[in-house]
Parts: sequence; C-alpha cells; structure tokens
Amino acid sequence: MRYSAFADAERLERALGDPGDPAAVFSYARCADLDDADEFPAEICRALDEFGLARHYVPVEFGGGLADYQDCLQTMRMVARRDVTVAVAHGKTYLGAVSVWVGGTRAQAERVGALVGAGVPVSWALTERAHGSDLLAGEVTATPEAGGYLLDGEKWLINNATRGAALCVLARTSAGGGPRGFGVFFVEKSALATESYRHLPKQRTHGIRGADISGVAFDGALLGPGDLIGGPGAGLESVLKGLQLTRTLCCALSLGASDHALGVATRFALGRELYGRGLADLPAARRVLATAFADHLLAEAVSVVSARSVQTLTGEMSVLAAAAKYLVPTRTEAMIARLRRLVGARSLLRDAHEHGAFGKVERDHRIVSLFDGNTLVNLNSLVNLFPILVRTADKGVEPDAEGVRAAATVSLPLAPARHERLSLLPRRGSSFLLGLPAAVAEIEALAAHDDRLAPLAASARTLLSTLDDLYAVIRAQPSVPVAVPTSSFVLAGKLAACLGAAEVVQLWLRNRDAAASGPNAALWRNGVWPTLALDRLLAAVGVSAPAPDSMYETAFAVLREQVGAGLLPSLFDVRLAEAGL
Amino acid sequence: MPTPGTSTDAATIAPIPADLAEWLAGRVAAYLDTTADAIDRDLPLAEYGLDSVYALSLCGDIEDTLTLVVEPTLAWDYPTVNAMAAYLRAEIERPAAT
Repeated sequence: MRYSAFADAERLERALGDPGDPAAVFSYARCADLDDADEFPAEICRALDEFGLARHYVPVEFGGGLADYQDCLQTMRMVARRDVTVAVAHGKTYLGAVSVWVGGTRAQAERVGALVGAGVPVSWALTERAHGSDLLAGEVTATPEAGGYLLDGEKWLINNATRGAALCVLARTSAGGGPRGFGVFFVEKSALATESYRHLPKQRTHGIRGADISGVAFDGALLGPGDLIGGPGAGLESVLKGLQLTRTLCCALSLGASDHALGVATRFALGRELYGRGLADLPAARRVLATAFADHLLAEAVSVVSARSVQTLTGEMSVLAAAAKYLVPTRTEAMIARLRRLVGARSLLRDAHEHGAFGKVERDHRIVSLFDGNTLVNLNSLVNLFPILVRTADKGVEPDAEGVRAAATVSLPLAPARHERLSLLPRRGSSFLLGLPAAVAEIEALAAHDDRLAPLAASARTLLSTLDDLYAVIRAQPSVPVAVPTSSFVLAGKLAACLGAAEVVQLWLRNRDAAASGPNAALWRNGVWPTLALDRLLAAVGVSAPAPDSMYETAFAVLREQVGAGLLPSLFDVRLAEAGL
Repeated sequence: MPTPGTSTDAATIAPIPADLAEWLAGRVAAYLDTTADAIDRDLPLAEYGLDSVYALSLCGDIEDTLTLVVEPTLAWDYPTVNAMAAYLRAEIERPAAT
C-alpha cells in the first residue's frame, strides 16, 4: 500500500539519483571514500540543503515545513539508507533546535526557525566529559550578569560542536543544581567574543568517521537575556521533553541502516553461487534473510506508529519514545550482526562488494544505541514508569482509543503536534498496552471466520498472557528507584517488546483492508507480517510463538521482489532511485 | 510553578489523610523501601538518591489518594515532604472552580 508520508522521501530520492552511480553527489562510492578519509560530508550536506531538508526540522507554526513527524522520519531514513554518517551530520540540527520548539517563546522559536530554515547547523550541547549521561551532574554554569548570563565550562562529545554555528546548551543556573537548577541557552557563536569560547578537537571514531564529534569550552561567554529558553529552571524539563521527540526520530537512522544492510545482504545472497548453487537457494540462508526482514518490518511498524503518536498521543510519548529508542536500535544492531555472518568475509572487505558498505553500515549504526539516551538510559526511563504503568493497568484505566486508532491508521491525516501537550509522565498509562485486550479480541473475532488468521490469533493471545505475566512480576518487585537492579532492566526490555507488539497489532488491524491489494499485499494478507513480528518480539521476552515456515517463505519472496525491483524494503510501496525515475 | 490543581466532585473523594506530610512521607518511604519516620521532611528528596524522574511517580499517588490533579513536576517545584504537603493542603482547601 502507498503511504503519503513517503512523498517527500521519494522526492528526495529523485533529487539525489541512484546511489550506485559513482557520479552522483550522494553515492555509496563517495561515502566510502569520505569515510576512509575521516572527512565531513560537506558537499552532500549542501545538496541536502538545496533540497530543503532542514525545513523538516522546523514546525509549521514556527515558519518551517514540519507538519507531520512521519514525513521527517521517513525522509531522514532515505538519507540514512545511503549513509548514516550524513544523516547524523545533517539531522543533528533538529536535535539542536528541539529545546526551542518545546520550551521557547514564540519569538525565540521563530528566530531559531529562520536560522535553521536558512541552513544554519545547530548543535545540542548536553553531555560533559566527567558525567556522560548524568545530565544533573553537569558543571557548565550560567551566571546572571548585566541582565544576561555568563557561560562557563566545557561540553564534550558533542555532534557538530565545531561546525554548528549555534548550540543549545544545558547549563547550571543554580549552584545547588537539581531538576530545577538547569536552564537551556541558545548560543549563537557569531554573537560571542571570540576569546570567550574555543572548540575541542574532533575525535577520531570507528564509525560515523566523518562526523564532527568534538566539543566546545566557554570562558565567560556573554549571553543576552533572550537567549535563555524557558525559565532558569526549565532546562531539564525541556530537554527531557525534547528527547521524547528526538528518540522517536532516531528510528530513522536505524531503519535507514537496516534498509541498506538488508539490501546489501540480499543482493549478495541472490548473486552468490558456489558449486553451481545459489546461496539464496539454501533454505537456511533464506531463513536468515526472512528473519532479518521480519525484524526490519517490526522496526518499521514501531517507528511509524511511534512517530504518528507524537501527534495523536502526545502525552504518552515518555513511554513510547523510550520503548522505541530501546527496541529499534538494539534489534537493528542484532539483525545486522546476523546478516554479517551470512555475508561472511565480504562484510570485512573494503572493495569486494558494494564499496565495503556492509562493514561500514554496521560500524556507523553502532552510535545509534549509544547517543541521545543510550540503551540503559531508555530502559531506566521505562523502569521509572513501572509504577504508573502497572497502576493504570490494575485500575483498568480506559485507553485513549481514538488516539490509538489515529496513530495506527496511516491514511488518516494528522493535525500538527501540540508540543505543549508533551508530558514527563503518561498520566493515564499507555493506551497501546491498555487497549491490547480489545485489539486481541478483535483479531480473535476475525480469526473465527477465517482459519488463515489462526496463527496470528494464537500469537496475539500469547502476547496478552505474556503482558499479564509481566505485570505480575513487576508488581512483585520492590520499588527501587535508587540502585536499579539488573532484573528491572530485563523487565523493562520485555515490557518494551510487549508495547512494540501492541503497536504491531494495531498497525495491522487498522490498515489491513487498505493493504489488501497492491505489491506488498502478500505481507498483509493472512496476518503474515504481524505474525512474524510477534514471533520475533515474543522470542525476545523468552516466550515461544513460532510463525509458520510458510510465512517466512512469503516474507523472503517479498524481500527478493522489493530489493530486485529497487523498492524500499518495507510494509509500504516506496520507490527508491534505483528503481529508475 | 505547577498549574493549579482541580478538585473533582466532593462526593467521590476518598478520605483525605489528616496529616498530609505524614502520608507523603509514607509514600516516599515506600519508594525508598524504608519507614516514614526515617524521612526528614525538610530534606530535598534528591538527597535520598531518589531519581528525579522516579520522583514524578508521586503525582500518581496524589491523584489516586487526594483526587487532585497535579503537574508531574510537583516534586521538582516542592522538593521536600513539608513543601509538598503545604502546597497540597492549599490546593485542597482552595474553593473548587465553578
């Protein structure tokens, strides 16, 4: 089926041309050469600027083109599927500006919107050398001075710290710190005295080698009163709310990496012959690819539903974003690692197969589970939500069924996000989890009239009982907010898998009719893709719900068709530049 | 500052603990796996190592027991048991909006 959120993605593909053509500005060959040289992809970023990619970073209310987060996510995915380094380098500007969309005044947001729209790279300076992810330990200070502020201290391991013409900086506004002791400041370097800041050297890295991973040190940098975004104690709140958006959008990087790795591995398997037999003729090889495709499709489903939820379940993004940012990058890492074994020695060779793209995409993608809140940070976020998630489930709180339906029905146009509705807590729980019993009942009712849906119905029932069992285990855990035990992290991972599965179920239910015809109908018919996705997600919880072998064969056939025809490996029908334009 | 809370229909309100500070200390103690009398009511909760995001969970307890809707960041703006209790007492006694 077609999904209108891919319109700009396809337009970008047409603008950029076939990445396999070495003459294209944004080609695989060029990206491999830049990687060899640790060189920033400046010319490619200029091409993206000419396309107007940055307008996707600015909400429409502030003068940009960001009306639907899905458009932004899927367009960034097209960048990432060519080169994760470029996506990280260019997309950072959305992260740099998000605090202003979430916490700034209209005048501030319009000022930053105009800069971003004009192609000014903006960076986000949160972390410090001595404190890593522990933002409340930050030592950079902002001291009131002459109506404005003096900024002092060092931010380190900051993407685009050097190349960014502006940065949003999290700084301590009260000596005692604490959750109300930090503010976010919009810092334009051109407004600073040149001796009041300096850049720290770019770090050489094993992946995203061309990216500007550096730092910045301030020494009495004078900021104006209008540079404080929100109140002097609003920094942590606006950062945590902004992270709900950026963590969701990080899925674009994993999906793009997965598109690329899956394409490379599939082409390799289809082309590789030994002793007169093709690799793809071996059932075990097909199974590896089909399993990877199942993982890819479930990551796409979670990404699509989570990004739509920004606009329909805005107040629940604390749980949805943490689950997505945990599930999608870690599962994609594992999937790429399994494909590496299929590709074998060629995954390590620089020149033998598609410019060494497989090894590069694996190296590049590893940053995604580390930055913008690493895997453990996201799991810890979910642990923090255990009390409210269990309490709302126990009380039988009514889910926001309309919000779920709108999030999952991709043909429904959505109103732009209302960022003021972002909340640090999902006050009424997670509607996808609370709505799971009704969704499973709906599948069972369908299966009662259609035997072909029996595998999906069985897996859906297993999912529901798995979630109930999980709640029981969580309920029995002592609340330990100080030193979180390993077992809580494990439970959080399982809860994220159940939430992802609930999103899968809803996406299938709400679009199965619209998807019943067209090129990818075989994935949607008989519940093939959700049955495969539940198999994979429940396996991650330690529960067996195997999909029939025939469904894996169906998935492989669709994958072969999509990759062969130059289409995006996807639940949706999306033409890449390789398909001819 | 949190936005003012709203009381719901008086008929549905469960008994409100007479000593709000005592009740809150009990809730905090439960999260920290200790006893209420071990909680210094004038010490910021962060001093006990309570995660700043976990502290937001208190808003759920408050909503359940006091049927009072408060901002999740209540525990950030009123970081001690006594400060929170004073705020909640004022909210409960505020005439309900019509």
